Amino acid sequence: MRDLKHLIYFEDLLQEANNDLVRKGKEDGNLCLGYTCYFMPEVLLDLPGCFSVRLRAPKCTSPDMATYYMSGRTCHYGRSLLERALEGGYNFIDAQLATETCTVTCRFAEHLDYMDGVINNATFKTSFTDVPFKKNENSIDHFRKQLKLKVLDFLHDEFGVDTSDEAIMKAIEINNEVNDIITEIGNFRKLDRPTITGYEFSVITLVSMVCPKYLIIDKLRETLEELKTREPDDKPNYKIKVLLAGSENDDPDFIKLIESCGALVVADRYCYGSLEARNHINVEPGDDALTAVAKHYLLTSQCARFMEQKEMRHRKKVIADYATEYKADGIIVESNKFCEYWSFERMIDTIVLPRDYGFPVCSIEKEYINTASGQLRTRFQAFVESVELKKIQEGK
Amino acid sequence: MFGKKKKTSIITKVIGTAVGVYAGLFCVFYFDLDGKLLYYVVEPFMKKHFDNMERRDPHTVPYDLIDTEYMQKK
Amino acid sequence: MKKPDLKKLKEVDFKKAARDFVYGKPHGERRLGDLYIPKTGLYKHREWRGIKDTMYYFNNIWLYNYGMIVRDLMVYGGGPKGAIQFLKGTWRYRWMGQTYLTVMHWFDRCLEGMRGEALQASAWHFRGITSACLYQITGWFNRDANIGGDPALRAKTLGTDETVWGGIIYPYMDQGAMYLPTQMIPYFVTCHCNNHTVLNYIDAVQAYGLPGDPCPMCQAEAGLYIADDIPDSYVAMVTTNEACDSSVGTSIIQDWMMNKPLFAMPQVMQFDDDSVLENCAKEIEMAWRFTEEQLGVEFHWDELVKHIKLQNQQNQFEREKWDVAANTHSYPINGVAQALYRIFYSQYGERPFWHDVDKKVRKIMEKCVNEDINTFPMTRHRVIAWSCAPLYYSAWCTWAYNCWGLNTIINMDSLMFDLDIRTDTYENCLLDIAKYHEWAPMRRMAVGGLQHIFELWENMEKFNCDMVMMYDQLQCKGMQGVVGLFEDEFRARNIHAIWMPHALPDKRTVPRSQIRQIINDYMFTVMGEEPLDPSLLDFDDSDSW
Repeated sequence: MRDLKHLIYFEDLLQEANNDLVRKGKEDGNLCLGYTCYFMPEVLLDLPGCFSVRLRAPKCTSPDMATYYMSGRTCHYGRSLLERALEGGYNFIDAQLATETCTVTCRFAEHLDYMDGVINNATFKTSFTDVPFKKNENSIDHFRKQLKLKVLDFLHDEFGVDTSDEAIMKAIEINNEVNDIITEIGNFRKLDRPTITGYEFSVITLVSMVCPKYLIIDKLRETLEELKTREPDDKPNYKIKVLLAGSENDDPDFIKLIESCGALVVADRYCYGSLEARNHINVEPGDDALTAVAKHYLLTSQCARFMEQKEMRHRKKVIADYATEYKADGIIVESNKFCEYWSFERMIDTIVLPRDYGFPVCSIEKEYINTASGQLRTRFQAFVESVELKKIQEGK
Repeated sequence: MFGKKKKTSIITKVIGTAVGVYAGLFCVFYFDLDGKLLYYVVEPFMKKHFDNMERRDPHTVPYDLIDTEYMQKK
Repeated sequence: MKKPDLKKLKEVDFKKAARDFVYGKPHGERRLGDLYIPKTGLYKHREWRGIKDTMYYFNNIWLYNYGMIVRDLMVYGGGPKGAIQFLKGTWRYRWMGQTYLTVMHWFDRCLEGMRGEALQASAWHFRGITSACLYQITGWFNRDANIGGDPALRAKTLGTDETVWGGIIYPYMDQGAMYLPTQMIPYFVTCHCNNHTVLNYIDAVQAYGLPGDPCPMCQAEAGLYIADDIPDSYVAMVTTNEACDSSVGTSIIQDWMMNKPLFAMPQVMQFDDDSVLENCAKEIEMAWRFTEEQLGVEFHWDELVKHIKLQNQQNQFEREKWDVAANTHSYPINGVAQALYRIFYSQYGERPFWHDVDKKVRKIMEKCVNEDINTFPMTRHRVIAWSCAPLYYSAWCTWAYNCWGLNTIINMDSLMFDLDIRTDTYENCLLDIAKYHEWAPMRRMAVGGLQHIFELWENMEKFNCDMVMMYDQLQCKGMQGVVGLFEDEFRARNIHAIWMPHALPDKRTVPRSQIRQIINDYMFTVMGEEPLDPSLLDFDDSDSW
């Protein structure tokens, strides 16, 4: 396939958290608001005069200082974030909007709050939002109240941000535009012969999360147009198609590694992936903007922390349904080392998805940055071979 | 019913037995004979029993989807 | 026959030997380590504590508790039928058949070296715990469908995650409803009593693909279900996210393997904010509605109030105990008894056996205070233990006192539940119950908000402690996530803190001997002190219970 025009530009934006567009966004006089989890509604951090940055720590392979603070037995992602913060890599953020949705990212944010001067920015503040574990009415009501108190009131009182309904509606509009573009781009992965690789899509999705939207949207739009006419290769350079599910992954090179083993990643059901993060936000009649936001982020999420009985059982089917929709031949379930939610979820998925839904599963544990790719490569190659063999036996 | 002598003899026997049992129990206690019995005999036996017990295979346990809040249909 | 060595015999100080026989050896001369049979933790012979204390131990602890175990089985089990169910359960479940029979050795380990009132009061705590265990064990077996338990009893029984407070069942207790915390007896207490069993559950769940790094407690809890070692004794389950991310994972396994109606009653993580209480309160109310639907019972407010008032009495007595612990040398309860008893009754909820124990302990404690008895006379340092304790070595406190004079005055787990629940109105009561849940074990001062784990400093001061035993649960993400901040604070505050690494139930990660070695090293090199009992410095208890 011909190269995407902006791919190298997008890749460059992912080299550091404080990228060109973030700097430009700040120069334009906007507040830069950091967050890590889908449960912190990105849209509320994109209110007029603000922009959201989902924090990453690219190329952080050895978080030594953070390991002193958080030991070597916590999630590499959380530690890498703290390492980057201690290095001064997040001095550009004006506030961290934290959620205690998984323990270690919360501890990361608590360090920012507790340790003087980690973020060398005089205006810096943190706010913690409680996120429910269920999707019932009580949860939506609670989540709405938390968002009002811990995000909107915080931004208004501390930074004078306009948090009116109109302002939220405007942010929803901009976000929806981005969401729709990414979704449309992602739909090319559903083709029998996809015209976008998992790596490319991962890069595109990530830039939409780590740059001010108003500065990146044109290039996303252009990329969508470009993809509409992009032709697939005559002979596919992959052997099977897979869905990637699991815990936090903001490293496109991990997708590249999978694809280099012959498995095209056609669906991304993991933290920092596009499914469900790039769904269109609907405002139902009778709901105010904030209620719509609370409902959207709570009800669309398929996070492994949801505890209602039907949710715990249903989310396996969601993965299987995605795999069917995106015509995947198999599923790779990954969990970051020390990620407790996905350690359990991965174990169950590895048994239930093949048994009840008929999808072959490759179950792996990975680091935040996968420098030791040799072992993973062997695992992926073996998986590709086994699925390929199965396809041949089934005469596909 | 009983003669005085017989009565005394029974009482002596009862007391003697009680003292004997008490002294025996004290020996069990002091020399940790209960611990030793459990450690060297009972636990290995029970362990073997539990190791050989047939157990349900988790792979065969269904994980059905449910429609209602509390599985009331079940 | 060998002739007696008269020369040696002449050297024996008979006066001293007689004194030791009557009163027991003084602390520095006991050499308790010499009593062990290597590897096993068994005793060549149990300790001679002097006539009075040895006979107290034999009559009032060893014999009495064996007897009371039989009595509890008959009373709680409902007579001979219950005894048969108990035997069936012992044969069916590893956590019973391989574990609890060794209960008196648990007493031994935790009460080593204790004398006088300290021995008595601490032993009563263990009596309370044992009774509570038997209450639950008979509860499990009498209802268990796997061994022919009574379906009518089962129909009135709610299974819960062990971090769901037992008070959830208070409003229904007069209607025969029972609450069975699904991990408390099959897992949690086993680790203290006989840590061999739990390893099977950890291995079982890992054999099905769970990585080795999540909290080993949750691994073991999940392993119980994977290993098919949970009785089928309840009709429905209430689970929770407490205390951590892994607990959520355990809930999924519980749901999968038991396939029963399940209600998730999650509690908030950032609990300081008053705005979150309302959400928790509503979840608790929903859990009550769920219980009523599933068990066919009605909400009885008076019954709830009755039990909460009784529970508040327990909490008030606890504060009295703390007052004595903090301000006198007459507190008669050792570190392990204090910690386990407090966490057990606070979590399991109010029951008559706790009050019986409290009465006895109050009497002993009042005597100690009135007569100004120094209950732990060899105390060199007053220790506060912080964070989550090693379950397989909860008796470290006893060892540390005997070996080094480190007296554990208080611990984090004990402090967490310090809340008198209001009963003036339904609303106040509900809000307090919500708060009580939020302060669950391992939450308030551990995995929960950062500021609460640093309540250590004020509690150090309050309890007049000069040293911290800082538990370092290697697989607790919440506490591992703040180790550096603690290090910084210890340095800045010039506090003597010993980091004690462990993996909750799994002794394979950090063996007990290694824990002792770490404490020994600190005491020798940093504190520059000599042991009170050198025989306890190093001994092999690798295969012990």
